[in-house]
Order: sequence, then C-alpha cells, then structure tokens
Amino acid sequence: MGVNLRDLVPKRIVRLEDLSGKSIAIDAYNALYQFLAIIRQPDGTPLKDTMGRITSHLSGLLYRTSNLVEMGIKPIYVFDGTPPTLKEVEIKRRMKAKEEALIKYEQAIKEGKIEEARMYAQATSRLKDYMAEDSKKLLNLMGIPWVQAPSEGEAQAAHLVKRGDADYCASQDYDSLLFGAPRLVRNVTISGRRKLPSKNVYIEVIPEVVELESILQECNITYEQLIDVGILIGTDFNPDGVKGLGPKTALKLIKEHGSIENAMQYLKNAEFPVEPQRIRDIFLNPKVTDNYKIVWKEPDMEGIVNFICRERDFSEDRVRKAVEKMQKGITKQKGKKTLEEWFR
Amino acid sequence: MFKIKMADAKLLRDMVTAISILVDEATFKIDQKGLKLRAMDPSRVAMVDFEWPKTVFDEYTTTEPTKMCINISEMLKLLKRAGKDEVVELSLDEKTGKLQIKITGKYARNFTMPTLEASEEEVPTPKITFNVKAKATTQGLSQAIEDAQLVSDHVRIEADNEKLVLNAAGDLMGATITLQKGSDALLDLEAKEPSKATFSLSYLSEIIKEASATSDIATLEFSTDMPIKLDFQQAKEGKLTFYLAPRIETE
Repeated sequence: MGVNLRDLVPKRIVRLEDLSGKSIAIDAYNALYQFLAIIRQPDGTPLKDTMGRITSHLSGLLYRTSNLVEMGIKPIYVFDGTPPTLKEVEIKRRMKAKEEALIKYEQAIKEGKIEEARMYAQATSRLKDYMAEDSKKLLNLMGIPWVQAPSEGEAQAAHLVKRGDADYCASQDYDSLLFGAPRLVRNVTISGRRKLPSKNVYIEVIPEVVELESILQECNITYEQLIDVGILIGTDFNPDGVKGLGPKTALKLIKEHGSIENAMQYLKNAEFPVEPQRIRDIFLNPKVTDNYKIVWKEPDMEGIVNFICRERDFSEDRVRKAVEKMQKGITKQKGKKTLEEWFR
Repeated sequence: MFKIKMADAKLLRDMVTAISILVDEATFKIDQKGLKLRAMDPSRVAMVDFEWPKTVFDEYTTTEPTKMCINISEMLKLLKRAGKDEVVELSLDEKTGKLQIKITGKYARNFTMPTLEASEEEVPTPKITFNVKAKATTQGLSQAIEDAQLVSDHVRIEADNEKLVLNAAGDLMGATITLQKGSDALLDLEAKEPSKATFSLSYLSEIIKEASATSDIATLEFSTDMPIKLDFQQAKEGKLTFYLAPRIETE
C-alpha cells in the first residue's frame, strides 16, 4: 500500500513532455502491478498467449516504455529484492486481500456480473517470478537499463536519485520520499485517460512532481520527522499505523513534540509491531547497492519481435510500430541540447 | 511596496503573453531602476531575458528591491479583460502577498491574485561568440517560419554575407526559404563566417509569433551549432530577448 502522504505533500502538475531529457527510476513492481491490474479484457481476464501465460505486464512494459522514450524520457526500472522481515505483516495482508478478491471474482463470473468481475479481477493481480524474468528479458532487448535492488525497490530508486544517477523516482507510492528521494514523479506509468473502477467515467491522469524539500518546507519539519509522521500514519512495515490517526493529526503531533517517542504519552492505544526506531532505521539506512550500470542502448527490433511476437503472440504490426517510435525518440533526443551547456 | 501604472494595457498584456510561452510561473525582480525577469522553460531549451526600465511606465513606485512570483496564465486571463485604451495598474501588497490588478476605462475592475514563492534560481547569460548577425522584420520572420512549419518540425538556419536561408526537411516534404540581404524582410546581415544551426520550429514559431506583438524588428545572432539569440527591438525602452538551444543533426 505504501505510506499515505497525499494530504501533506505539495505537488506540481507537469506534462510528460516536460520530463523530456530526464532519467526516471521507475519502481518496476509498482508499474508491473499496474499493468497487470489495468490491462485486462472487459470481464477481467488478463492478456494471455496461446500457452495460457499472462502477458499483460509485457504489453504495458513495451507500449508504456516506448511512449516515454518517444518523448525523450530515459527510464530505468528498479526491481525489488528480498523484502525486509518487518514487511511480512503487510505481505500477508496483501495475499489475503487477493485470495478474498479471487473468491468474489469467481462468484461474480458465475452470476454473470461482468463489471464487478473486472473490478475484483484487478485486485487479484499477482506478480509471479516468471513475469519479473520476462520483464527483464524484454527490457534488455529494448535497451532499457534495470537495476536489481538488494531489498526495497523504492529505497534503491531513491538511492539512484540521491547519487545523481537518475533525476526522478517514479512510483504511485510516496515511500521513496521517506527513503530520502529528493524528487518523485507520480502517474508516469499510467498517465492518459483512465476509467474509474466500477464506474463508467473516464478521468485524465496527469503526472505530478513532488519534491522532498518543498514538503519539509511546507510542513516545517525535518526529514527525520517526516519519517515519524509516515510511521504514525502507517508504512509497509507497520501497515496499521496508529489507529484513528490521520495525516494531519500525525503531522501536528510530530511538530508539537518533535518525535514519536516524545509524542507517545499523547497517543492513546498506539501500538507498533517493533520499536519505531527499527522502522525509522529501514528508511534512514536502507539496504541499497552501488553495484549497477546505467546505459541506454538502441532497441533490438528483431529480438523483441522474436520474443514477444513469436513466443508470446503479440501482434507484430503493433510491436514494430512501438519500437519504431522508440527509435525515433532516441534519434531526436541525441540531437537535443539544453542551454545549460553554454552557461559554463 | 510596489506599484505601477500603464496607460496602454495592451502593451503589458502582449509582453506577459510573450513571457508565458516559456514559463508558467514567473519571478520578476523589482528595484528602483525597473522590472526584470530572466527564466528558462522547464525543459531548459529556451530562455527569456526581459527588462522594462521604470521609464516605460506612466507611474512607477517601489520602496525597496523585491521579487514577485506569479502564475502567468492566471495573470493573463485577467489582463485579457482589458480593452483598447484602457489603463492598468498593478500593486503588490507584500504583507498579504496579494497582487492587485486594476483596469480602468469604460468601467473599473479590481482583481486580486496571489503571489507565489519566488524562485531563487539565477539564470546566467549563455556564453556564445556569434558569427552571424541579421536584422529582420518580425513580419518577414513570421512568414518564413510559417512556410517552414508546413513541412517539418525543425529548421536549419544558414547565413553568409549575402543571404539568410531557412531549410526545412520533413519526412516527405521540404522547403527552402531565402531572405536576401537588403530585401524588405532582411534589413541587414553580417557574417564573420558562414554558419548554420538547426532549431525546433515549435519554439521558434511561438517565440516569434508572440514577441512580434511587441516589436517590428528583430535581431538574430547565431553560430554553427550554437544557441540562437533573438532580440526584439522595443518601441519604448526595454529589452525582450530569447535564447534557444540548437538541435544537433545526427544524420
């Protein structure tokens, strides 16, 4: 779920074009889950090849990434490694939610309620190991770099931005900010027209940029205090947070008392699975690696066609067009200069 | 405190429109001498350098140097309400952070809008040695750019001592537009050495189109594969200059 900072963060709406020339560290699992949830047939069945293997994630990865590259954006995908042990509760909760959704989905299908079935089907999305492997293989063919995080992908993505190897983190969750990412961009992988779940309404999803520094300024707190606010609201490592405590009150408490420990006496029935310091530690000293190489290469058209058209039954026409769009974007980007080169 | 009055609301509107091509939020620097703004567009391909000395205004009062950041498109909405020959007054209340826009003519309107946190970024001047200097009418330039836009989204600008040539090559179509030195469109041309550089037409056309409303004559300066400088001569005092980074042709 991630930490819900929505009400606290000042955000700036941008056009995807404005991110042209920028490198973006995309939380791969976050993106893949979205593809799996969204790219489905009307009754909720995911895309599959003739062997019955799910291909929704490959479809999303190819078409969305080629759109980004066409606009001159340089994506980097960051894959999750082994989750911290503290995440177990959250992982179990997610599994349970999926099992429940699956039962409801089957029920809805039986009753012929297509709209409802689709809604529940989206919540059953599971990312199997073969999907991550498929995705990495496709990214290699597309010439898009990916980084394997030792633990949390969001922490690794934040690390890339902190080191200057990427300009932005991209995720729907705000967690990378707690991991210290200076800049986060949301809605990159889903921008465009989106149907609202269970309603026949379309909305326009527009990317938005969130800056750590401006949150801290706006809320008038330190980075460490922002982590404390997050812990009070609930993070992946203490999903429940403090019961009955919303973002606004959490912020107020931390501002008044400085830290969770100092605020404890004012918190009724505050329970944490472990001492808050241990959760804080995951954000402050996350497990990350410097062992990665980020290089964008030309896409391998025939390799991509062989893999997803021959093996996974994608339409060759559409795939070739998408790859051509990528190539165009790369050529255009190569020639593009910013004024900054002449400031030195 | 900061307060200005301008008898010609259109001039202010046109200038703000020209600035709005590149920036959504504009930070103006205000001091005893006048009003200044220098900003880059979000993709940092183009920049605008704007100055209006106090003499441009019919009234100009400021107590101490300050900065004012406003949402340009919101401001423009308000300024567009001003008709011909109407008077516009701006006054900034630093305590409330509100900007008051007063338009008087046939009737009186008093708008207020918020100011935003001023940007701290100082945009330097690009360091370029220009080899070509061309003086052209903004009308002539607009026409040439419109011609090129029919076939492509970028244009190569070349010059020697005789002529300025715009070369646009699209996927299927092409266009060559030649402006001879001394013609109606090209008033003057000096080239230390023949030079050429390619630019995005979407930026060029918007800059030239909107800046033309404030100016009849533009001076272009460029060198091979360097940014182009477009200076739009102002009727009164003041400066409106744009810089645009080149595109490097790969093929």
